[in-house]
Amino acid sequence: MDELLQILNTLKPGVDFTKETDLVKRGILDSLTIITLVNELKDEFDIEITLLDIVPKNFFSAQTIYDMVKRLQDE
Amino acid sequence: MAYNSLAYLVVFLVPVFFLYTIVPKRYKWIVLLAASYGFYLMGSGFLVIFLLITTVSIYFCALSLDKVAKNAAAVRKTLPKEEKKAFRQKIDKKKRRIVLLTVLVNILILLVLKYYNFLGGAMDVLLASIGLPKIFPTISRQIQPLGISFYTLQAISYVLDVYHGKYTADRNFGKVALYLVFFPQIVEGPIGRFDLLADQLYEGHAFDWQRTISGIQLILWGLFQKVVIADRADILVGKVCGSFANYSGITVILTMLIYTLQIYTDFAGSIDIVAGSAQLFGVSLSKNFDRPFSSHTVNEFWRRWHITLGTWLRDYVFYPVSISKPIFSLGKFARKHFSTFLAGLVPAFISLFCVWFTNGFWHGAGVKYILYGMYYYVITILGLLFEPLFRRFFEATKIDRKGKGFQVFQVVRTFFLVNVGMLLFRANTIGSFGAMFVSMFSGFNPSVLTDGSLLSLGLDNKDLVVLAVGTLLLWIVGRLHTKGHHLRDELAQKNSFLRWGLSMAMLFVIIIFGAYGYGYVAINPIYGNF
Repeated sequence: MDELLQILNTLKPGVDFTKETDLVKRGILDSLTIITLVNELKDEFDIEITLLDIVPKNFFSAQTIYDMVKRLQDE
Repeated sequence: MAYNSLAYLVVFLVPVFFLYTIVPKRYKWIVLLAASYGFYLMGSGFLVIFLLITTVSIYFCALSLDKVAKNAAAVRKTLPKEEKKAFRQKIDKKKRRIVLLTVLVNILILLVLKYYNFLGGAMDVLLASIGLPKIFPTISRQIQPLGISFYTLQAISYVLDVYHGKYTADRNFGKVALYLVFFPQIVEGPIGRFDLLADQLYEGHAFDWQRTISGIQLILWGLFQKVVIADRADILVGKVCGSFANYSGITVILTMLIYTLQIYTDFAGSIDIVAGSAQLFGVSLSKNFDRPFSSHTVNEFWRRWHITLGTWLRDYVFYPVSISKPIFSLGKFARKHFSTFLAGLVPAFISLFCVWFTNGFWHGAGVKYILYGMYYYVITILGLLFEPLFRRFFEATKIDRKGKGFQVFQVVRTFFLVNVGMLLFRANTIGSFGAMFVSMFSGFNPSVLTDGSLLSLGLDNKDLVVLAVGTLLLWIVGRLHTKGHHLRDELAQKNSFLRWGLSMAMLFVIIIFGAYGYGYVAINPIYGNF
């Protein structure tokens, strides 16, 4: 989780990702930030993220992103 | 058959609605399918063959993808963990071949039918530049099946969604066919998605009085925008753009603003007629407009304008390109050699180029349309590149970006940029766009507002008043929606005198003030030509 928070904080400085639970709706993660994040996650965690994973529910909060990463690592 | 014509509204839509209402639930989808193919045959005749090819191709492609996926899932269960990844890659490759073939066939049909003259001409220029003879004769009348730009996108989204496993293939051929051909949306969208639309079309809806009235009200509101505002605005816009060399300054600025009003009311009005028609059959179509002129940036504008095209490009161009292996590798390379900021933007530069190029080219076969897409690409890229500079500037000057004043500035700036884009979209050629754009800043002539010059542009005093009042009404309705009002739902709660009174008043306004009949030319929807 710490690595993920570090990536998120680099992408969007000044956001408290431990508290935010509506990153997509609040416009913190727009489509441009999401693709940068996805490519960072692929690189950092060596996972395969497909289009099926790029849906709002996976990017609601740091926790949902973390859950997606864990799930993809297990696959 | 234009959606704003009596032929569609009275001769076609009403009988289909009655037939749909009286047949048993399980046959209702057949009424929609037969009516849709009837509508298509009336509009495109034998060109229906291309729609059929697309329908058959995506139907069998999706079934094949499903079969491969199901067989693979059974085998995968029996494999040890270390072999699963290689097996999945093998299956992915097989599925990719199937889906690529189908997508390419459909894109090829679209390219040949819609872009033959443009692409053939471009190829001939290339051949001539190396001394070879021309081989692509120009066709005087290019054949273009009704709605091909729209149904091709729907077809591609269906097979790609099945390929990615978003949902499984549908075995019912009629359901897939209806999804592509549903008559209210075949001509100009909104671009539907199978998982949101197909079941609604297929399941059959019993008659509902409230839903029917609400649908009719939406059709009337769409007609008001299209016939009273857009078709009236077309007269002035057509006159100035047709002989642009005679005009300059405020006249051209006004024409640009009125064209933006025209294309919005033409497209959004037609979509309201389409959505109202679909509502009669209990079908809720995807939203295509969301008060676009309240946008603070051009990106936001495109999230609010032609929403279904924007989301299609996001899901089937932007994301796939952004997360593809070559772009991922390029991003990694950039992270090693450039700053973190620039490296993060590299994938966006490429995928946004693909998005805006496709957006421009989709709108029409011509360099002008490609430039239209590139115009927004350049604005987006400049915005991304200069963002750190802007941030520092606002920090240094202590300008509050969330303050009311700055928000208003952003909306005005976006409105200006969008208007310039619209002028490019409307101008007959790139040269005429350039001439009109430059002429806006020359010959400053405020006297045209008072000396009666505006009345020589095809609209008389009465027309200008109708246009102004219509725009004001449009703005008021937009504001009410912004404040969270659902006008048709609220109207449904009022007494029947008010409900019927308002609907009848709207009908009379359309009949009395609509730009049709003697002295007016019937205008087909602008997006119907795509």
